[in-house]
Amino acid sequence: MAVKEVLLYPDPRLKEVCAPIDNFDDSVSELLQDLVDTMIDAGHSVGVAAPQIGDIRRAVVVDVSHSKLGKKQKNHGLLQMVNPEIIEKKGDQVVREGCMSVPDYTGNVNRAEQIVIQFLDQNGDLQVKRAEGFEAIAIQHELDHLDGYLFLDRVSSLKTDLFRRKQK
Amino acid sequence: MQHFALTIIGRDRPGIVSQVTEILYQLGFNIADSSCSILGGQFSMILIISNPKISSKEDFADAFSPLEESNLSVFIRTLKPGGEKRPELEGDLCMISVYGADKPGIVYQVAKVLGERQINITDLNTKLIGADKRPVYVMMIEAMLPEGIEIETVEEWMAELKKELQVDISVRSLVTMEL
Repeated sequence: MAVKEVLLYPDPRLKEVCAPIDNFDDSVSELLQDLVDTMIDAGHSVGVAAPQIGDIRRAVVVDVSHSKLGKKQKNHGLLQMVNPEIIEKKGDQVVREGCMSVPDYTGNVNRAEQIVIQFLDQNGDLQVKRAEGFEAIAIQHELDHLDGYLFLDRVSSLKTDLFRRKQK
Repeated sequence: MQHFALTIIGRDRPGIVSQVTEILYQLGFNIADSSCSILGGQFSMILIISNPKISSKEDFADAFSPLEESNLSVFIRTLKPGGEKRPELEGDLCMISVYGADKPGIVYQVAKVLGERQINITDLNTKLIGADKRPVYVMMIEAMLPEGIEIETVEEWMAELKKELQVDISVRSLVTMEL
């Protein structure tokens, strides 16, 4: 299909709450393919959300199986997700994230360790999957995009946090 | 555009940041990168600033005299052209944690091992913690490992230091998830 340009903040579309997809028509399949193509073109990044390519509908793709860290862990390979929703969260982990839409900046973000996610796949079938580790982080990051959140909204600590907490 | 590095340090109290930035704002300065933190009882600010209308430090140094009067020390460094740009560093970030009973030379010995091998330290924090009678020194180093240098290699270097300095050292890769 097509590789799309990845929007950079402050593009206002990155701060929109995206609309649920009610009709699973051809435009949805096209969108998913564009997301996959864009993800692969971006040096095989691990995920892209629809608003990052300017489409404010609830769709994301995630694939950690090609990343250095992700391929060592349990993962589902390519996930194409429409109307994804996290229905269960467990545990807590801090991870340093960066985002293609906010270049040159990274921050420590708190994410759940394990999640259960429900979504419609590329065929419009309902799926429920359990994800953990890197894949769970990637999914949480991409889903945030659908609600207009950037990782900047989630930064939990500065680098020196460790020392601060120790101070009485 | 001419850039300057501005360093301000003084006994911590509320209002330092607003006092400093009000002056910068009124002079028309842009603040690019900055980092401000409490070290000991001192608040320290380091800022990279620029102003299209100002090319020499003499043009604005006097504006900070109210800060000096309120016991803050001010230092201005004039940057050479391009000095405001962070160099592209290639490689993988790693974190090195060093901690143990306080003794002279911990920072130097570790930094020396890295420096001699051209490893770039991108961030460093140290803190003295623990009880007064048994102070513990903690140091966190973020460093960029160029291609070809693996975590295991750094661990080997550190193993010797561990024995020598009688401190605990751990090395791990600091993976940034590019999403």
